[in-house]
Amino acid sequence: MHKLFSLIFLNVLIVFLTACNQNVTHNSPAGNTASNSTAKKRIGVTLLTREDDFYRELETGLKENAAKNNFELLIQSGDKDLSKQQSQIDNFIVQKVDAIIVCPTDTKGIAPAIERANAANIPVFTADIAAGGGKIVSHVASDNVAGGRLAAEYIAKAIGGSGKVGIIGQPEVQSVIDRETGFKETMAKYPQITVIPTLNGGGVRDRALKAADDLLQGNPDLKAIFCINDETALGALSSAETRGMKDLIIVGYDAAPEAVEKIKKGTNLKADVAQQPRDIGAKTIEAVATHLRGGAVEPIVNVPVKIVDAESAK
Amino acid sequence: MQKISGYIIVLAIVLESIVFAFYAPAFLSLDNLVNVALSIAVIGILAVGMTLVILTGGIDLSIGSVAALAGVIAAITALKFGVFAGFAAAFAVGIFSGAFNGAVVAYFKVPPFIVTLALLTIARGLAFILSEGRSVGNLPENFSSLGKSSIFGIPFSVLLMLASFAAGWFVLQRTTFGRYIYAVGGNREAAFLAGVKVKSVTLWVYILNGFFVGLAAVVLASRLGAGVPNSGLQYELDVIAAVIVGGTSLTGGRGSVVSTLFGAIFIGVLNNGLNLAGVDPYTQKIVLGVVILLAVLADQYKKHAI
Repeated sequence: MHKLFSLIFLNVLIVFLTACNQNVTHNSPAGNTASNSTAKKRIGVTLLTREDDFYRELETGLKENAAKNNFELLIQSGDKDLSKQQSQIDNFIVQKVDAIIVCPTDTKGIAPAIERANAANIPVFTADIAAGGGKIVSHVASDNVAGGRLAAEYIAKAIGGSGKVGIIGQPEVQSVIDRETGFKETMAKYPQITVIPTLNGGGVRDRALKAADDLLQGNPDLKAIFCINDETALGALSSAETRGMKDLIIVGYDAAPEAVEKIKKGTNLKADVAQQPRDIGAKTIEAVATHLRGGAVEPIVNVPVKIVDAESAK
Repeated sequence: MQKISGYIIVLAIVLESIVFAFYAPAFLSLDNLVNVALSIAVIGILAVGMTLVILTGGIDLSIGSVAALAGVIAAITALKFGVFAGFAAAFAVGIFSGAFNGAVVAYFKVPPFIVTLALLTIARGLAFILSEGRSVGNLPENFSSLGKSSIFGIPFSVLLMLASFAAGWFVLQRTTFGRYIYAVGGNREAAFLAGVKVKSVTLWVYILNGFFVGLAAVVLASRLGAGVPNSGLQYELDVIAAVIVGGTSLTGGRGSVVSTLFGAIFIGVLNNGLNLAGVDPYTQKIVLGVVILLAVLADQYKKHAI
């Protein structure tokens, strides 16, 4: 009985898969026989996720600029799952796309898949998060080091250039480490400011809340906290509000809607470093277009960041 | 025997406290005591339910995800129907999930590890879908008042945790149902032959656990002031660690909620002390793992020595 079921299931699966395959070939207008100059270029995109505002904006930027360049985008989400993303890249290779854009789920782990695309002579671009191996034509991302510097300048000014400052970070993630590096670099220029050792908030609100509790417990005289993303900042904000620390300054990163709301309301969260994900998407497509036309592109394209505070949020 | 395992974990807590008192001056203060208690409130509440489940020889890996889902649903409900309805919804989600786990484990004989692992990913996925991948914030003011308020300087969350431990202790030590839980975990066959309704006891233990997950979700969401879909990540591991470090046996039948409370305190003090002492986050992970291993090894050694 069991065997019969598995057989039927297998059959259905095979029929389904073949149908899918046919779909793909039918839908691809670029058909391998068509000449490359007139056909729409097909670009395979595998995003880190579709589950946050940042990536939704980035996707919008990609789509807008792709339409202008007459590109067809095949967009997939890696859902923060490395093996899923690897097989998406392998599928793009089979589909013979003209270029691949990857927002890696794992900096190191994605390298072998990129090498396979290299071997198939498909140019690979990364957006937002860098890859740790393989040949990348161009990496387009926010200048995270500059973002950290901006946050440091803001805090240094707000506390009058002296006092204790804390960081709630997420040392597992390269872009976050860059933010921290920029922050510390700038703070080193202020001899009166002490930056105490970084706490790990895991980039999520509940862990950041705990980290902030410990940070504020151990350093009641703390003047400011730099939080490496908004979930971290909102966790730290809960902690500061519970303790009634009215003078504490919190600076976050990403300028997500909920954080901007808190900045406007005049809470401890005073400012945010804002990335411009839509620009990241647009500039990635720009790099792809330039490369496919045979032009030269920079190996690293830095997309500027900016500070959002109560003034500029209005 | 249980008495001795209690002594060992208390001794360990005292030892680590002495070490941290040296390295972090802020460690030994009344404020920090409250801080540590607050930091283990959610894990502690979850650990009460987990202790019951593990005592029956089961496990529940879904608690962190279900707590996140319950928090998200609480926030969404609170926006539409008010805070009270929101909190009630969180309990409903917890209890329903518990009933699901319990029913599949007890009546379909699927190993708890598998069922709850499935629910772990299902609940997390639902939490992301319902919240559209972002935290559900900007809630009515009194949503977060539970998480922020305190009575005589003791945070309300901590009181709820202590009440949970008291309730868990009462169920295990003072009710027939509690004795059945030990019986089911100690020797399933014998319990069955002695007339214990093994299936029904198992189902109710998971439902009870679901109730505690609901409570933990309310406390967590209220402290965060939002329903956060990526909250509660890997809480199941922290909670299982607290239960096991406390001395409850993973194979069931042996342990208590009191030892779980000490286990939770032990891990809470460790995390807090390492943070206060300014130990870098990479090293913290290693220390945490090694200390948990040592605690369990000590427990094993003692068991065989006696």
